[in-house]
Amino acid sequence: MNSEGGGASEEDRPRDDEILAFHHAIRAADAEKLEFVGDKEPLTVLAAEYEAGNPVFKAKVENLGQSYFAIRRARGDGNCFFRSFMFSYLEHILETKNEAEVRRVEKNIEQSKRALIELGYQEFTFEDFLSIFVEQLESALPGRETSVDIDQLVQRCRDRYISDYVVMFFRFVTSAEIRKRAEFFEPFIIGISNMSVQQFCKASVEPMGEESDHVHITALSDALGVPIRVVYLDRSVGADGKNTDVNHHDFIPSECSGVDIPPVVLLYRPGHYDILYTRKDEGRQNE
Amino acid sequence: MASRARLFKEYKEVQRDRGQDSDIQLLCDETNIYRWTALIKGPTDTPYQEGVFQLAINVPEQYPLVPPQVRFVTKIFHPNVHFKTGEICLDILKTAWSPAWTLQSVCRAVIALLAHPEADSPLNCDCGNLLRSGDHRGYKSMALMYTRLAAATNV
Repeated sequence: MNSEGGGASEEDRPRDDEILAFHHAIRAADAEKLEFVGDKEPLTVLAAEYEAGNPVFKAKVENLGQSYFAIRRARGDGNCFFRSFMFSYLEHILETKNEAEVRRVEKNIEQSKRALIELGYQEFTFEDFLSIFVEQLESALPGRETSVDIDQLVQRCRDRYISDYVVMFFRFVTSAEIRKRAEFFEPFIIGISNMSVQQFCKASVEPMGEESDHVHITALSDALGVPIRVVYLDRSVGADGKNTDVNHHDFIPSECSGVDIPPVVLLYRPGHYDILYTRKDEGRQNE
Repeated sequence: MASRARLFKEYKEVQRDRGQDSDIQLLCDETNIYRWTALIKGPTDTPYQEGVFQLAINVPEQYPLVPPQVRFVTKIFHPNVHFKTGEICLDILKTAWSPAWTLQSVCRAVIALLAHPEADSPLNCDCGNLLRSGDHRGYKSMALMYTRLAAATNV
């Protein structure tokens, strides 16, 4: 032991804030390549991506074109599920102008708020995030001073402050839902992480940049009462080894049991979520 | 500025709770709400219990989306605190940060770290080595000595 009580090798090590700053710099460089949410692109861009790739992917992308016609990419920064959900749902409100739907979701937000307080969260730690999301919901409805059109919605969802705050609000809501129904979620959490429900929420839900999977999706969908479809694009083939139909799973909260196609449709490729547009909506949308 | 509004809320909360958490004294710089000082009491039944330790807290503009920077100003012998810079190795100050934490709860987490040293992720390797080799007596006497030298309350 040296006289000062600290090891010499520690001198060369960058400080933690330097490591964090470096980490942010890498993300910032990535950011220049793609916005939080990209432009709406025809599905053919996906076909081009796999042109020379795996034949199963190629066949599946082709099948995907039967039900879906466009894609909007999200930045791959670990928050892509939440950012995709944010844009896709707000765009749905913008198009349907459904005020009753907004009121319904706002009631669910109230419930989440109460759950957070009951779980011991101090209100001032989440209220700013909550109000930013409610503002976005309100301005997606027509006839208000703050109402937005599709271009303004895109701009807002690309704004770091707004996007990050909404993502963080979703993380609070997701965490509260999981902890409120810990018994239900526990087996799924043990299956993927070997953590307790509380640890999982602290380590894999609440911190920004932590990726989402079916536990997060189920919780957010249930908490807000918004059905979500996830379309899985992977290399798996059916039992006969030839089936290249594209699988999807619909997350339908109990209060929405009559829903046919969820308002939010996401494309999942291992490790990443983007937004999909269904053919059913093709005529209605003119971007 | 969102960080400023949030810090004002924390400031009000700290004023309101004054005296409730007697182990933590949080003081905001009078001219800059992004700079705070904390005085934390060493937890009982640890070699730090006789000491009061000063923490310097620097809050970045993007707070609370990113964690505050916290370091020990008072010298301390602990495996997860850098002996020279006072830097703290604590997950919630890095990747596990979330805005659900507050400056107050961060201080509580630092106190908890004092009571539960993690010898496997040491910033102070000598201290970590003492613990990993099972020399708890050696660790305790070093930690106690530095507490008396640097953090004693009756100086």
